[in-house]
Amino acid sequence: MKFLSRKWVKVMRNKLLFLTKYSLNKKIKTKWFVIANIAILVLTVALINGDRIVSFFGGDFSSTTEVFVLDNTDTSYDLLVNEMAKNKEQLGFMLDYSISKSTKLEAEITKELEGTKGVAIILEADEDNYLKAKIITDNNHDQLLQQVIITAINNTKTSMALSLSNISLTELSRIYNPVNIEYINLDKKNGKDYDSIMSIAMPILILPFYFLVIFVVQMIGLEITEEKTTKGMEIIISNVSPKTHFFSKIIAANIFVFLQGFLLILYSLSGLLVRKVLGAVYGGSTIGNLNISINEFWEIMVTNGIAERLIYVIPLTLLLFILTFLAYSLIAGILASITVNIEDYQQILGPIMIVLVASFYLAMMSAMFEGSIFIISASYFPFISALLAPVLLLMGQISVIDICFAILLLLITNYLLLSQGLKVYRVGILNYSTDKVWSRALKVFKARDSL
Amino acid sequence: MLKVENITKYYGSLKAVDNFSFTVKEGEIFGLLGANGAGKTTTFRIIMGLLEAQSGKVSLFGKAIDYGVTDTIGFMTEERSLLTKLTVKEQMLFYGKLKGMDKETILMKLDYWLDRLNISEYKNRIIKELSKGNQQKIQLITALINDPKLLILDEPFAGLDPLNVELFKEIIMEFKNKGSIIIFSTHRMDHVEYFCEKLVIMVAGQAVIDGYLTDIKKNYRRKNIIVKGDINKETLLKINGVLDVTSYVDEVEIKIKDDSVIDEVFKYISKCKNITKFSVEEPSLNEIFIAKVGESYEE
Repeated sequence: MKFLSRKWVKVMRNKLLFLTKYSLNKKIKTKWFVIANIAILVLTVALINGDRIVSFFGGDFSSTTEVFVLDNTDTSYDLLVNEMAKNKEQLGFMLDYSISKSTKLEAEITKELEGTKGVAIILEADEDNYLKAKIITDNNHDQLLQQVIITAINNTKTSMALSLSNISLTELSRIYNPVNIEYINLDKKNGKDYDSIMSIAMPILILPFYFLVIFVVQMIGLEITEEKTTKGMEIIISNVSPKTHFFSKIIAANIFVFLQGFLLILYSLSGLLVRKVLGAVYGGSTIGNLNISINEFWEIMVTNGIAERLIYVIPLTLLLFILTFLAYSLIAGILASITVNIEDYQQILGPIMIVLVASFYLAMMSAMFEGSIFIISASYFPFISALLAPVLLLMGQISVIDICFAILLLLITNYLLLSQGLKVYRVGILNYSTDKVWSRALKVFKARDSL
Repeated sequence: MLKVENITKYYGSLKAVDNFSFTVKEGEIFGLLGANGAGKTTTFRIIMGLLEAQSGKVSLFGKAIDYGVTDTIGFMTEERSLLTKLTVKEQMLFYGKLKGMDKETILMKLDYWLDRLNISEYKNRIIKELSKGNQQKIQLITALINDPKLLILDEPFAGLDPLNVELFKEIIMEFKNKGSIIIFSTHRMDHVEYFCEKLVIMVAGQAVIDGYLTDIKKNYRRKNIIVKGDINKETLLKINGVLDVTSYVDEVEIKIKDDSVIDEVFKYISKCKNITKFSVEEPSLNEIFIAKVGESYEE
């Protein structure tokens, strides 16, 4: 067919818009999209607030641990309670206990503790060492509380010793004030905390990208194979060029993915907001499982020199993501055009999914194998670079020039996929051969110049 | 006028269409016949621009067919090309918009055609829930919704009961009378004889018979003589030029080489008893098709 007339260009542009809109509406204006997004929102919020939800529903883990203090020194109990309170202030809701002074005998307390979560602390005066203590418990689960008790007992001993040394209250207060530590890291390259960087990169970059790529390839494949399976493709392609059809699928899928990505960010922010609100209610300032607060999160970024690099890391990462989504979309469209049903498509998609999974694991391993030539080399490769290169850049293992080189390779790959892929698409889209999928793929590729 | 000039198409080393030409004028119905794999669907695909011929050209009203003119073409494919998860209305809106139509016109036309084909109640039904015959009707509507100037129908009567075949024929004749160019393929020769002024019989991508139906029948020299009465089959077969004799319930069909044999056969029949019918008839298109396609395969 001849594609030269101006009328044709106008008609195709209108049809491209129509097909793109149609394809996008087919994904968004469905009850399943709404249901899936409500589910994702609930799950995201729940995941971020997992610990609080578990605590809310109660259970043994959340019951208050009773701490009985048998103070045989007569002077240590108040000091110990103070020390414990300081820790509770810092650890918030994660430390849940009640403390009381006991007048019972050690044997009686020991008997009472059997089968409970309680802890007994027996404080005795010690001639050589000011204080000696015995901790009695029938479970070892609450390691945090045990640690806090040990620290509190040691601090109690220090307080006792200092008060016995006739030190003034002012002096005592100065001694207990924490040291003001200024952290200056001169070695930016080796001074990084890779675990902290990964804790940022994994939820923000790696996981969302990984799932969105899976989304995009599945969506494009499903839509094209559905149109092929029903033979609706014959009528579609008799009204729009394969090129227009191809682009409509790519554009619609990518718009959808970016919209879904944006929604994921909103859901995460909602989760954090809920956490903040719950934090205000329950007390404490930590972000549960992530184990860092928003301030600490920013601190990690500053400490590791990430914050100052965000100005170029963000645009480069975005560009890399967009180009990689495009590359995966192009390959998904081309492969779907060769197949005749969804089973074929899943089979032919296998190697692409392996590459995606491999890049996911390489990104995770990059923190463990610092400076690995294999991982650094892999970060240049299209389809892998989007997951790997930004993480390596954050860790300082590669430079901006390296990431620019990865972008250049992606641009070349996308150009080749477009120029050669469109030829394959034009041949493949109306091919209903019953050959085995790989042999059909080979034939279509060989015949790409025949139209 | 649709003009197909010397088109040739290869699939690898296989020549699917070989230097094939024909023309169809406005208001004409053109039949494209051939055994399976003769190249009919490939020819349709080339006309529609779904495939590009290695050589030759196709033009509609003097201009090459491109996506600027496909909005004026209606295409009904051999296999059902329906997006079966959609409702009839959604499907028609989708295909209609692909043909550059606005929503109001599509819905208006849809209501008309659903009513015409007696399936108005299926407008909001999912296509895959419909019977094969009703799906075929929906398929026909997708081809007609834009009032096409060129209507291409690949096996339009497949899966239809006789009543609906008549309904389809009526509609196709209406489009012919409106001046549309109509091309269709079918394995049913009676449909071709009813419809087509002009036809091509394709074998291995080539036209083995081409022209107006009346001329084809006239030029096909073999004739059939139908006789009712007591005749001896063996004696008839001994007459020079008699090709075959077939007995039916109350008639005998005598296939003869050409008109020159009629006299000899008549001489013999006139001697037989109880003769109530002696009729010389043109061969059916089916016979011509079998004879020509068979010959070509033998060659």
